[in-house]
Amino acid sequence: MKIVRRDYTHNGPGSVKMTPVDSDDLWFAYNLILPGDSVMAVTVRKVLREMASGSRDAERVKLKLEVRVEGIEYDKEGGVLRIRGKNILENEHVKIGQFHTLELELHRPFVLRKQVWDSLALEVLKQASDPTASADLAVLLMQEGLAQIFLVGRSVTTSRARIETSIPRKHGPAIAGYDSALNKFFQNVLQAFLKHVDFNVVRCAVIGSPGFTKDQFHRYLLLEAEKKELRPIIENKSKIILVHTSSGYKHSLREVLDAPSVMNIIKDTKAAEEVVCQHAFFRWNSVDPDRACYGPKHVEVANERLAVQTLLLTDDLFRNADVPTRRKYVDLVKSVKGSGGKAHIFSTMHSSGEQLAQLTGIAAILRFPLPDLDDIEM
Amino acid sequence: MPRKVNRGVDYDEAYDSYDDYDYEDDNDYSVDSPAKVEEPQQKVKKLWSCSICTYDNEEGMSVCDICGVIRNPVAGDFKNSNKKTAAFKFDAPSPDDMVSTRLQSSKLNTQGKRGKQNASNSTDTAVNGKLDSKYSDRPPAETFHGSSGSIEGHNSLKKGILSGQLSDEASGSSNPLKIEGTQGNADDDFSGQKQTAPASNFGKMSLSDKPGNSNALDSRKHKSTAEYHPDKWMLPDKANDTLTQLNLAIVGHVDSGKSTLSGRLLHLLGRITKKEMHKYEKDAKIQGKSSFAYAWALDESPEERERGITMNVAVAYFNSKKYHVVILDSPGHKDFVPNMISGATQADAAILVIDASNGAFEAGFDGSKGQTREHALLIRSFGVEQLIVAVNKMDVVGYSKDRFDLIVTQLGTFFRSCGFKESCILWIPLSAVENQNLVAAPSDARLLSWYRGPYLFDAIDSLQPPARDFAKPLLMPICDVTKSSSQGQVSVCGKLVAGALRSGLKVMVMPSGEVGTIKSLERDSQSSAVARAGDNVTINLQGIDLSNNVMPGGVVCHPDYPVAVARHLELKVRALEELAVPILNGSQVEFHIHHAQAAGKVAKILSILDPKSGKETKRSPRCLLSKQSAVIEVVLNTPVCVEEYSNCRALGRASLRAMGRTIAIGIVTRIIQ
Repeated sequence: MKIVRRDYTHNGPGSVKMTPVDSDDLWFAYNLILPGDSVMAVTVRKVLREMASGSRDAERVKLKLEVRVEGIEYDKEGGVLRIRGKNILENEHVKIGQFHTLELELHRPFVLRKQVWDSLALEVLKQASDPTASADLAVLLMQEGLAQIFLVGRSVTTSRARIETSIPRKHGPAIAGYDSALNKFFQNVLQAFLKHVDFNVVRCAVIGSPGFTKDQFHRYLLLEAEKKELRPIIENKSKIILVHTSSGYKHSLREVLDAPSVMNIIKDTKAAEEVVCQHAFFRWNSVDPDRACYGPKHVEVANERLAVQTLLLTDDLFRNADVPTRRKYVDLVKSVKGSGGKAHIFSTMHSSGEQLAQLTGIAAILRFPLPDLDDIEM
Repeated sequence: MPRKVNRGVDYDEAYDSYDDYDYEDDNDYSVDSPAKVEEPQQKVKKLWSCSICTYDNEEGMSVCDICGVIRNPVAGDFKNSNKKTAAFKFDAPSPDDMVSTRLQSSKLNTQGKRGKQNASNSTDTAVNGKLDSKYSDRPPAETFHGSSGSIEGHNSLKKGILSGQLSDEASGSSNPLKIEGTQGNADDDFSGQKQTAPASNFGKMSLSDKPGNSNALDSRKHKSTAEYHPDKWMLPDKANDTLTQLNLAIVGHVDSGKSTLSGRLLHLLGRITKKEMHKYEKDAKIQGKSSFAYAWALDESPEERERGITMNVAVAYFNSKKYHVVILDSPGHKDFVPNMISGATQADAAILVIDASNGAFEAGFDGSKGQTREHALLIRSFGVEQLIVAVNKMDVVGYSKDRFDLIVTQLGTFFRSCGFKESCILWIPLSAVENQNLVAAPSDARLLSWYRGPYLFDAIDSLQPPARDFAKPLLMPICDVTKSSSQGQVSVCGKLVAGALRSGLKVMVMPSGEVGTIKSLERDSQSSAVARAGDNVTINLQGIDLSNNVMPGGVVCHPDYPVAVARHLELKVRALEELAVPILNGSQVEFHIHHAQAAGKVAKILSILDPKSGKETKRSPRCLLSKQSAVIEVVLNTPVCVEEYSNCRALGRASLRAMGRTIAIGIVTRIIQ
């Protein structure tokens, strides 16, 4: 995110002009823009004009509109942010109070005006504008018969391709079928790999699978690259890392990000932080379940007793349209930080955040055990 | 276990009364004229399918075009019959009357072929009941109870047949196994009463069965299994085929010698020719892996041979004195447990191979790294009750009795905790490499000096034949698929869980719901005419779209009785020991059921159960720890073919895995969506 101009006061009103430059930035914008804020951007609108003769004429006009946000929608695959609201900027084509949907795309600047820039909003803004935190990673997760390609960004994991075929098992005449089916499968995966993995963007490409599928594919990949002179692969051979995972499903991404070789590359990024933190939560859960808790009620009670060491939250909770709820969580984060704890905000677009969202979206590692939490209804 | 929730919620559903009506009607027929027993027609379509040959006849025909069976007179549409059936219920005879009419009808039926079939199966049922009561987490007292019941079943066989028949009619199923399942699920006092007054429990039994049924019915399921009547050819003819098929899984920790043992067995039994064996030996030597020569008979892919480990379940066949044995040689490496699950769910019995050498046994038995425990538990969760423990590599430890005894004691305690019965476990010391105690009594003096038991081949024959569901509608989970585009056919292979197959039969492949015709059947690469429940076969299907994905994990079934496809399930599970991470609400898991697997999450932990009594001890707990039993809801990302455990055991057994480990095993108690 490029910040063009900023003009705000802490916990006060103000505006920021910014330009999203990569797809992650739209996600940040999605988290920043809340109902009630206003957004100004250049947009295109179809305008109906009535001629003197009475005939109607539709025309697409490019204009600058500012809307009071009522609804916001994030399209992960398309890379578009749609903001719906009432117009508040007088214009010759669009009256004040008319509805309009702004589409924010990459490289299109917009101005966000808020009544209150709270500490969390500023934190998101800071993160978004930090260029060094980018962690673009391509992950190919495989198991025999199933392959998926993911791009792991700073705060968004996108699924790029999914290849599923049935591979016959061995024995009898099927043994020949096995070889050809596997070959066909690899061929498809290779095509997807070439199409979706751009080594100019990603820091490295990780191939993860249980068993030896990854080695088999790696060998196939290099062989084909030699044969067909696939320059991008030959040149970036060293950027391909093999990692062992327990399955080819999406939740195995956690194991990929957890692997030491990958961790080294992405260690200072948010994704890595999330993984480490979540790992700790699960570890505590198994070592001493009384020192970990989840669910809003339990965490709140734990916080009242100043027991929260690390707070894990999903950004979903902050996107709440309901202002008091958002404030409640902002206050919770503040109070945890005030009592010397840490707070991590997970992106629900990452696999770790997804998992956390399934655990009600809020969890905490405690300083001391609170066994009586069990007795409180969740 | 009691399924109170089900009963409470679903009992009043319209479908139940409808169900009731069905077999009421069915019953009347069998009293009047048993020959005319027919399925009531429910299809709203213009076609009606004959109950005998399943041929789709035109609406106007009153007799089947092919086999001449008279169409059921009640062929009118049942769509608006819900009200009618409700009214009908009021006029229904009192439970006692129902019992007496059924008594009559069953007596009539005993003379028919079905009676014979039932008689042959009822002993199986008793055995199964005995074994199963153990599995269903009852307290020891209850187990004793159950077994005494089955003994009684043996003694008064005649009575057993009669009551089996009776309950058949009552719960509307033609299969004794199913009844037995219901019993397992019923209250304790219920099973107690059953012995003294079987008849008086009738109403109850049929009631408790129904909620499960109505839940499983999805919109596509037109008919309940109650109306299914197997054809004559579907039932086994004992005179014709003396050998029954036995699916024998070979499991164990990696490098314990599973493939070598299987290869050696096949070689000794002459299933591998000298020439082939010579070739394996030569090739293995070239690769510097001469000790793997026997394993190569089963590990065929170059990848497996190069690495010296099995990756996929290999299938091989041999005949013993009593059985057509199908060997399922499973991979032991922990990364391939999913393959092992999908391959070995077919097993009727298992050989657990243990590496006796110093350190190796301990490594395999280690809870966090070894696969011995995981495999044993998984095998148990597939419903395998009979286990042969082959303590392999005895040559390495000099055929030491102490070593053998140590292994027996350590493993024995563990097996008891997983629910194996001591009497169903056979311990056999052997050496696959030195050919000791495999197909003949040992020749080595050191082993002879203390071992007097059976050798492995003998032990296989001593296994009890498994019970089969011949009389149920066809169900065959697909283990493997090969497509041949040149012939335009799809070959699917798997084990028939229920029913029977022959070429020319129309079958439906779920979840896609496509109907195809069976062109030919293969068993051990030889074509065969008929396959029945329990058989491991390859079927060539025609009329199935090749581009359409027929995948392993699908189910071949009877077109009128399609299997349910669901993604939201209620399970009763037991968490395994030494969980790395407790199971939380929202934990991400891999879900395995028969040959299907899917990613999903634990949507909700409903309640924790007492492992002994099965009573609920805690509602909506925060997490599920090691060794706890619980009722949970699971939501899958992709739907799978599934049946409730009470309806079909093989399709109702599931296991949950996460982070490369099996975390819980259980059964499907309810299909929610």
